[in-house]
Parts: sequence; C-alpha cells; structure tokens
Amino acid sequence: MTSIAATATSGWRRTLRDPGLSATILILWAFLALFILFPLAKLLARTFFEDGQITLANLAAILRDANHRQAFWNSLLLAALVGISGTVLGFLYAFTAVRANLSRAWTTILDAASLLPLISPPFTTAIAMIFSFGPRGLITYRLLGIKGFTVYGLHTTLFSETLTYFPIAYLTLKPILAAIDPNVEDMAFSLGSSRWRVFRTVTLPLAVPGLANAFLLLFAASLADFATPLILAGNSFPVLPTQAYLQITGLFDLKGGAVLSFVLLVPALVVYLLQRYWVSRRYYVTITGKAGAQTAIKSLAPWARAPLLGLCLLVAGVTLYFYALLFYASIVVALGANHAWTWHHYQVVFTEGLKAIHDTLIIAGAGMPLGGLYGILLGYLVAKKAFPGRQTMEIISMVNYSLPGTIVGIAYLIAFNDPPLVLTGTALIIVACYVFRYSPTGIRATVALLQQIDPSIEEASQGLGAGSGTTFRRITLPLVLPAFFAGLGVVFIRSMTAISATIFLVSINWTLITVRILENMTELSLGPAAAFSVLVVLIVFVVIVAISGLLRRFRAAGAVEVTSILGG
Amino acid sequence: MSAAGIRVDGVSKRFAHRVKGEVYAVRDVSLTVQPAELLTLLGPSGCGKTTTLRMIAGFEQPDAGRIFIGEQDVTGFMANQRNIGFVFQNYALFPHLSVFENVAYGLRVKRQPEAEVARAVGEVLALVGLQGYDRQFPNQLSGGEQQRVALARAIVIRPRVLLFDEPLSNLDAKLRVHMRDELRDLQKRLSITAVYVTHDQEEAMAISDRIAVMHQGAIVQEGTAEDLYRRPASEFVAQFIGRTNLLTGRVLSADPGGVELEVAGQRLHLAGETARVTVGETVRLVVRPEGIELAPGGSATGIPGMIVSRTFLGEKAEYQVRMGKDVLQVTSYNPVQRGIFPPGQAVMLHFPSHGIQLLLGSTA
Repeated sequence: MTSIAATATSGWRRTLRDPGLSATILILWAFLALFILFPLAKLLARTFFEDGQITLANLAAILRDANHRQAFWNSLLLAALVGISGTVLGFLYAFTAVRANLSRAWTTILDAASLLPLISPPFTTAIAMIFSFGPRGLITYRLLGIKGFTVYGLHTTLFSETLTYFPIAYLTLKPILAAIDPNVEDMAFSLGSSRWRVFRTVTLPLAVPGLANAFLLLFAASLADFATPLILAGNSFPVLPTQAYLQITGLFDLKGGAVLSFVLLVPALVVYLLQRYWVSRRYYVTITGKAGAQTAIKSLAPWARAPLLGLCLLVAGVTLYFYALLFYASIVVALGANHAWTWHHYQVVFTEGLKAIHDTLIIAGAGMPLGGLYGILLGYLVAKKAFPGRQTMEIISMVNYSLPGTIVGIAYLIAFNDPPLVLTGTALIIVACYVFRYSPTGIRATVALLQQIDPSIEEASQGLGAGSGTTFRRITLPLVLPAFFAGLGVVFIRSMTAISATIFLVSINWTLITVRILENMTELSLGPAAAFSVLVVLIVFVVIVAISGLLRRFRAAGAVEVTSILGG
Repeated sequence: MSAAGIRVDGVSKRFAHRVKGEVYAVRDVSLTVQPAELLTLLGPSGCGKTTTLRMIAGFEQPDAGRIFIGEQDVTGFMANQRNIGFVFQNYALFPHLSVFENVAYGLRVKRQPEAEVARAVGEVLALVGLQGYDRQFPNQLSGGEQQRVALARAIVIRPRVLLFDEPLSNLDAKLRVHMRDELRDLQKRLSITAVYVTHDQEEAMAISDRIAVMHQGAIVQEGTAEDLYRRPASEFVAQFIGRTNLLTGRVLSADPGGVELEVAGQRLHLAGETARVTVGETVRLVVRPEGIELAPGGSATGIPGMIVSRTFLGEKAEYQVRMGKDVLQVTSYNPVQRGIFPPGQAVMLHFPSHGIQLLLGSTA
C-alpha cells in the first residue's frame, strides 16, 4: 500500500496546476535566494575572488598571521571544553530531574534556573562574572581580598559559556532520559545487575546519541558565541568571532573579516553535518507516548540522591546569584565601590537609551508576525505538498540558523552594502536577518505538528465536501497555530537578545538594546548595562508568559502540544 | 435519504513498490452494491480492500475502470464532489473542534442556515446516543464515544453512500460487538447503501447483507455469509471464513445419485453432490469441525481415529482427532449429554453428506 513514488509525481502535477500554490512557492524561493544564498555567495566571492580571478591569496594571508591561527585553535579548544563541561552538567541536571524522584517544586526550581540563561541577552553571565571576579569583584576583591585576579581568559570564558549554554544540553537530554522506559532498567535489575551496572550498561548507552548531540550543539553554540569572549576572553585569548569583529570595526578590513568568518564556517559546517547525518540516525529511544507499566524508579541509589540534587542546586544557585547581582548592580551607584541606592541607571536607560528600546521593539515587533507567517508557510509546504526542490528548500531554510551569527552578519554586510540592493542602515536588513535566522524553529514546529496530524483528518474534511482551501483554513491552520505562536515567540525573543549577527548591521538610524549593552560595557558604565539587561529579561519574560498562555488556550481546545518554544 | 447503489467496474490501482517495482494493489475489481445494502469487503491485510474503498470514496483515483454512484459516473471526481460519508479506522475527528462543531462541519461546508445546522446536529447526536456531549472535545471522549461522533459526522450530511474503513478495530472486544450491532441497526433504519471494510470474518458475517472476499487485489468470492461458509469456492475462502478441515479424496464413482469417494483409506458416500467430477480424479474436501460426528471406538461404521487433545468449553467441546496422517478439528455440541472423549481414546468419525463440500478445479 506504499505509494510514495507514484503519488509524488502525480502530486507535483497537482501542485503546479494550482496557481496560488505555485506563486507562493516561487515567492518563497525568491526570498530564500535573496536573503540566504545571495549573502553567502557574496561572502565566498569576497574570500576567493580577486579581480575576477579565483585565488587563495586572501586565505593564505590571514592564515599566515600567527594571531589568527591562534584564534582558530582557541575557538576549537574553547568549543570542545564548553561542549564537554556543558554536556556533563546538562546530563547531571537531566538525570537528577528524571531519575531522582523529585517533587514538583524541586523540578520547577531546576527548570527555572536552567531557563533563565536561554532568555537573557548572551552576555548577562559575563557581566555578572566581571561584577564578581573583576578587579573590584565582589567575591575575589571584597570577599577573598585577592588582588590581581585575572578575570579575562580561557577559564572565565569557559565558566561563563558553560553556565550559559548547559541548559541546551539539559533540554536535549531530559526527554531522552525520560523516554527510557524504567521497565527496561527493571528488567536489568531482575537479571541480577547492580545499580551501577544498570547505569553503565543500560541507561548510559541508551543516552549516548543524546550526549553526542548535546556536545555538538554546545560546540556549535560556543563556536558561534561572540559576546562572552568579547567581554571575558581578553587580548590573551583571541577567538575567531571576536577577531572577525575587530578586523571589521577596528581595522575597517571587510575582506579580512570575510575571510576570518569563512575560516569559522569550516568547523561549523563539520559540526552541522555530523549532527544532521550521523547523530540523528543513532537514536535508540523513540518517544512513542506509550508508557510502560508505572514502576517506581530504582536506578538511583537513595544515598546518591542528596549529593546530585545538591550539585544541581549549587549550579542553580550560581545562576540565580548572577541574576540577583545583575539586578542589584542596576539599582546601586557603582557596584563594588558605592552601594548607595539609585534609580539613576534606569533614568539613563529611559532617556539616552530610549531610542535603542524603541528601535528594538519596532524591529522585534515587525519580525515577529513575518517570522511566524514565514515559518508556518514554509513548514506547511515542506511537510504537506509535493513540488520539485522541496527538500532543497527545507535545507536552505535552515542555513542561516545553523551558521554562526558572525558569518551571517558579515555576509549581510557585504551583500547589502552595494547595489543592486542597498539595505545597510535600514531596519529592513535587521528584520530580514532575524526572520531568516530564527524562523527555522517555527518551521520545525510546524513540520512536527503536521507530521502528528493524521492525513485522514484532512481526508475527513474533504469527504464532508470541503475543498482544499476550506480544509486548510478550517482544519490545518487551527491545528498549526501553536507552531505559529512558537515561531513568532522565538523570533521575538532572539530579536531582543541576539547580537552576534546584528552587531554588523546596526547603524545610527537603527540600533539595538544588546548593542547598547555592549557599548556600555566597553565604556565601563556597568550600571546602565545591568539596567538594560534587567529590562530585556523582563520584557522577554512577559512575552514568554503571554505566548505560553496563548499556547495553553489553543491546546485546551485539543490541538497538539508544542512542548517547548525554546527547543531548538 | 434516497438510497443509491454503487457500481465498481473493472477498477485497477497500481503502486510503485521500492523492491518489486510496479505492483497492483487492486486488479480488475468489479462489484455492485444494491441500494440500501451493506456489502463488506473482507480479506487479510494487504489484499486491496481499503484501496478499493478509498477509490469509491475518491481519496484515490483508479488507474483503470469506472466507478458509479447511483446512475452517475463519479470516476475522476474528488471526494468532496461525491457526497459520501466516510468513517475512518482512527475516526479522524477534528481535535480542535467540539463534538457539535465536528458533526456540524459538513453542514457548514454546504452553507446550511444556522438553525438547520443546530437541528440536524441535535437530531443526529440523539440518534447515536450522544445527547449532551455537544461541548466536549474529542480528547475528552472514550473510544466508543469517538466512534459515535465519527458516525454522526458521516451521516449528518445525508450522504448517498456510507463507507466504513475498519471502524471498530480500535475498540475492545466487548464494545466492538455492541457497536457493530448499533452500526447495523442504524444503517438499516436509515437505509443507506454502505460498504464496510474489515479483516474480521466474524464481524463481516454479523453485519453484512453480502460479503466480497478479497485476496491479492482481486475479489475471489461474493455471497451471503451462509453462502461463503457452506459453499466456499476455494481453499482460501474456506480457510479464511470459519474453521476448516481440508481433506484429499479420490473419486471412485460418480452418478446422479451421489459420489463415492475414498478418503483416508475409507469409502465415503456423498449423496446429492451433483458436482461434475470424473472417476479417478483427486479432489479436495472442505469439512467444517461441526460437520464431523464422533462415536466411541468399535462402532460398526465410520473411519477410525484417535483423540489427540480436548478442550471443554461448556456448550461445546473441541477435539483434535488423528485420522490416518491428518489431524482434524472436531467440534461436538452439548458434550455433557453426548459424552466426552478423553485424549488417547479410539473413536469412529462419521462424515454426514451435508457437512462436506467438494472444492472444484482446485486440486492441490
């Protein structure tokens, strides 16, 4: 009864006969070509073409510089270390959450502490690190009285990035561990295994693909991270994203920046391919929703529970301490020097910083519906319609999402600086960057939802006399609404918090809160930086609550669940 | 509702198969369903019954052949142009719509006035016993209730034909029996022409006016449940419908009075068997378990055998009896009065003529 090939060809013809559908597909292709393929092509051209000739000279020139070579190796080292430490921490967290028989309250605390870094501007942890361990740091200077502790370098960058990105590993590993049927562990117990042996021979092997996936995700996140190393890595530990940024903003060397970002592209691409074609095919655990008989979890010895939970709470405590410190820094005159209470920093934020807030909200507000719409449209076409180049379209739509932001930003800068399409200095270039970079979450959510919707539901509608337009409007669209909200939520959150790509795209006309935070940091006005960060966290938090409310409302009406709007 | 018949005329459907290349899911199927009749397509999985049903519905288009509903040739029509009611195996309820809106969907598509929608939906929900469920959502209903909503949604639009794709297979055994009686009752009361697909022969026999048995994309036999049980045309049908003993015999003599056979070294006389057989030919015989009678060993007549095992089920006893090389299934009703044979006991098997069916043209 399989009919893939036969229906595929007849499906093509049916799709192409529908003028509305063909027009939508053509328009989407035009956008993908303009905002994803064209900038990348320009970046590659800038790297490999000189006077109409293919050349490796640019690449060679960059690689001859010992400092750049060092940056390349540093980037890989940092990414690998963050990958390892973040995965270990994430696994610990996930294992404790799933296997330690925690009460609801504990789980909520762990979840909240791991969610905070995901919704914050990328350098909030870094700022709090400076406050704690900097030259006048609360902990190093005031508490311990250490003078001359170097807050800049690999150790702090690694610590900060681990704390920022381990929640990704937690979110990746938790469902995998949860999906391991406790009955499988029971079975191993019944065969005479000890707890440690069950963990070593059953639980851990089943989680291995998840661990590999978490490592690669963290590796990619660290590789792409721009803000943390810019603040914490210092001169002694250059990494590629910051080198590329300095090359462009400091030396006005656009070509050098392009070449450096190309160097960054290579490991990013390897990680992406590994993740897509190797790890994703090695999952043993499939989430069927068909739970085995309820059984008490025995895989964790009672004595091990307390230390595990303690360790998790310690990590959660550090995170919460950082955020509390951030808030505190925003309401005192100068943290570490003068702890008198003041509104001054917020006054700065709402006077000098008002334009940045205004611009950011407009850009995020414009990107939100566009990103949501683009997400469900592309997701629907890819999941439900047969047309030539369908798979290619899906892959291309994921490109900007998978690449480090530095590459995307530099590529946009190169592509839209000159005719035929000059967008530099406009809001449009920032909106486009966000929409095409952060909508893939919405696309994936749409595809996942549509795959869960049985085709017979649409057939039922057709059988009752409805045409394809009515069916889409009355059945399909309401069912993918959760994906729409998830998609636009992610676009909004990232528009509020991201910096790595858009740092290259802001201008006097249009600037962003995150860029202002960075400027404040470099001017050492840490108070306003903290106040801005608190504001962003608050706005994002409110929006997330609103979107979760919407999601709940639509789920109450029986639609399929989108588990996390941050899962990607 | 004016009942319309269905005519399927020489319909075929091919699919591209990854390994086997092009394969026929349905090959040259023709059948006629009379107005208000319930015809069941019965067969094992992969026999093409669902594909046939989906072509009648318009979800699939045949590669060859024509389909008529009433007098109208609907070949090439989409499902939404055929005015059918379809009940899916998984019900396919719209998860985001309430029970009321699920049932009202087809009426709203037809742009019926609101008052008429409310009236018709209320009436149909009452008919399937779901008064007061209007505001519930599908995920709040039990399997049986979902089934009723699916049925209500299909009949509320007053379809010309009602199509069922294994509608009861997701229910537990008890509910299944109950729902199939309800379905049958409703179909009779509304006198809608219906085509019903199932792989469960008991369900098919209980619900159908007629059954078409399908095998490897083709219809192998059509008839009432009794026809198929008493006069299977092939070993496949004999074994698919009911339990069967298949025996091989040789024709000793044939005349208008009956046929003389040799089975397991014994002579067997079939009275009234008018089959055209030739003397010396080997034939296959279908003997139902309840068509064999057992007598204590040492009786004067019958074929000797020995009890291998016995299952006592109250109103009947089921035996496995060795006869020559074969082991036969024998069912004996009312065993308490007729006596129970323990395993190992020698018995005589009697084959009354009315319990034996000759399979023609299918010598093994």
